[in-house]
Amino acid sequence: GTQIRSCKDEVFLNLPALQARIRAITTERGLEEPSQDVAVLISHACQERLKNIVEKLAVIAEHRIDVIKL
Amino acid sequence: SAAGKGNHSSAVGTENTPMLTKPRLTELVREVDTTTQLDEDVEELLLQIIDDFVEDTVKSTSAFAKHRKANKIEVRDVQLHFERKYNMWIPGFGTDELRP
Repeated sequence: GTQIRSCKDEVFLNLPALQARIRAITTERGLEEPSQDVAVLISHACQERLKNIVEKLAVIAEHRIDVIKL
Repeated sequence: SAAGKGNHSSAVGTENTPMLTKPRLTELVREVDTTTQLDEDVEELLLQIIDDFVEDTVKSTSAFAKHRKANKIEVRDVQLHFERKYNMWIPGFGTDELRP
């Protein structure tokens, strides 16, 4: 079935720092600063990406320990 | 793409506040698995990965915005990038009703 998920309102990254980073790159390319939504979206994606990586690392690390146990 | 830059000092935004701090990272790791701990060099690497991720995202989406002949990045540019490159859809940004 369809899974419905939603994001927490909490912003994972430091928003002013992220916005400064975005501004630096977009200004370099002659673009205006995007809306705050863009920064919040990028922050959520970073959180998702990190969770993904950490989940994989946890499995790998556990596997490594199992091998040592043998 | 940004490999070899050395450190993640570019993650520093306004007033030397980093986008992501190690305590925040530790918090996230606990959410994933309470028994998992990260080595310090792994933490450094993850901070670098996130820095590169942000840079790559903003650069790619800038190109999308320019391709649309727009003067700024919109949410849909970012969603397109995440979906294409990471097969990742972040809900809750007002464009969900366009999805099947």
